[in-house]
Amino acid sequence: MKKTEIVVVGGGPAGLSAAINAASLGAKVTVFDRNSQLGGQLVKQTHMFFGSQKQYASIRGVDIADILTNELMKYKDNIEIHTDSTVIGMYEDGMLTVEQDGKYMKIKPQSVIVTTGASEKFLTFPNNDLPGIYGAGAVQTLMNVYGVAPGDSVLMIGAGNIGLIVSYQLMQAGIKVKAIIDAAPKIGGYLVHASKIRRMGVPIMTSYTVKYAHGTEKLEKVTIWRLDEKWQPMPGTELDIEADVMCISVGLSPLAELLWQIGCDMKFVPELGGHVPVRNEELETSMKGIYVAGDVAGVEEASAAMVEGRLAGLCAAKNLGYTSDQFDALKADYLDQLNALRSGPVGEKIRKGLDQLVG
Amino acid sequence: MLEKTGIATEQDLAGIMPPKERLAQGPVAVIECFQRIPCNPCYTACKRGAIQEFEDINDRPVIDVDKCNGCGICISNCPGLSIFVIDETYSDTEALVKIPYEFLPLPEEGTFITALDREGKAVCRAKVHKVLNSKAQDKTPVVSLIVPKEFSMVVRCFSIDDFYSDNTIICRCEEITLGQVRELIRKGYRSLDEIKRISRAGMGPCQGRTCRQLIMQEIAAATGVKMGEQRMSTFRPPAKPIKLGALLGGDDHE
Repeated sequence: MKKTEIVVVGGGPAGLSAAINAASLGAKVTVFDRNSQLGGQLVKQTHMFFGSQKQYASIRGVDIADILTNELMKYKDNIEIHTDSTVIGMYEDGMLTVEQDGKYMKIKPQSVIVTTGASEKFLTFPNNDLPGIYGAGAVQTLMNVYGVAPGDSVLMIGAGNIGLIVSYQLMQAGIKVKAIIDAAPKIGGYLVHASKIRRMGVPIMTSYTVKYAHGTEKLEKVTIWRLDEKWQPMPGTELDIEADVMCISVGLSPLAELLWQIGCDMKFVPELGGHVPVRNEELETSMKGIYVAGDVAGVEEASAAMVEGRLAGLCAAKNLGYTSDQFDALKADYLDQLNALRSGPVGEKIRKGLDQLVG
Repeated sequence: MLEKTGIATEQDLAGIMPPKERLAQGPVAVIECFQRIPCNPCYTACKRGAIQEFEDINDRPVIDVDKCNGCGICISNCPGLSIFVIDETYSDTEALVKIPYEFLPLPEEGTFITALDREGKAVCRAKVHKVLNSKAQDKTPVVSLIVPKEFSMVVRCFSIDDFYSDNTIICRCEEITLGQVRELIRKGYRSLDEIKRISRAGMGPCQGRTCRQLIMQEIAAATGVKMGEQRMSTFRPPAKPIKLGALLGGDDHE
């Protein structure tokens, strides 16, 4: 059995930020990530980030992954990184079990920061198991990690930020995007993303959903139909769209299995994507020493995930006795940044969700 | 309506349009950012202080058109690709529109493209004036287009295909358009034979008498290899399509 001071589960934007802060204060940190490369979803993000300079605005996600990884390496004496390693269990006595290259490993940290991110939601319609029907994350992985085109022509389901961004990336890869449809009456993602796709000639159709997927060996055609104000499909409004790829991007839900295992208080908050952990201002859950940050704590933008990571790393380290005279100032700054990112109209849903969580 | 379609309306635009007098003075940035989102790189990018300081990071950018000199630094810094620079003083009849463009291939300076509006509809043919793609643009190149002045507030995107490409037949026998041939050249087919074999251009009844020269002209325009230096395609008999029966020497046998 190994021992360490802090385990960070997941090396995405939140996890890397948490590890940087905890290690910079002197804590011994072990990072586990199931992928072979650190950065989580950042490595697939070829677009410039929003936010302000503190959250790397105007820099592409893939470059932010490098920036964070390099920053983490500055504290290499305090850091141990395990890639291709999945934390598969968290136990009440504080033990974590990890699968790494087919081997089983145990590690006992004094504190854990869970930054496992989120998984994709799916849709129910006939033939939704046809080859060619993907989640947006899979399309991004194929395209941006492995350089493989998922097909020739795509129908995108979902006009949130991920649906819009992945559509744009598909177009950059030379793949035809036939249309973007969304069941909601309004575009959910940033309108600037929508406009830059629309001006390339791609229609965005709100109040539409999938009725039926056609194809024998693989997807050939999709029938969509309109929804009325009560989100009920309207017979007679069907349209057929020929496509060999349907990309489903209808939201994310927090990947919180580990938090359930160890018994954290969880609450169903639809605004945050599903069941999320109850936690305090310092991002500590109902279980002492177990912190959360990023999408697992509630689905929002990566900019917020990075700030949450910084905050969780700072606070987890402090509770183990690693602190600095900057603690109060840093904590206040992170909380200010989070408030600012969530303060506008697009943050309203997040605010509503978080209000239900004050623990 | 913008929130349903992604297309800004006249009303949205009325609020951000620079005054006529300012447009008459030279280049100026137009920021088509209509939603309050947490984002401020345009403010931090502008070295002239032309974009008002954000009190709240969700503020929409407000531009001081008298301080803005249209330098365009903000264009590549906007994560939403929503900033354009308009220069209505380019000539008496034409304006420059500078557009962020993150697609390959980039257009070449001096070539013609099809200018698109906010809906992606073709508006006019436009000449590519400049393509800025240095480190400062950080992979968000800025393309400036020369458009008729009346379209300076309409053109916001472009398709690299020439406006006339898809209506222009190069090979009548096989119905291959100029747009298709240009696409093949862009994909790396660089000789007459390669294009013939992949597209069938030149394999019809006329056996390339119309399209041969035209395709070579296009290859020359795209690659700089002069027509005289290009490899001619392989010629084999028969020089025109004939019936198999003719080869058999008979004419009565079915």
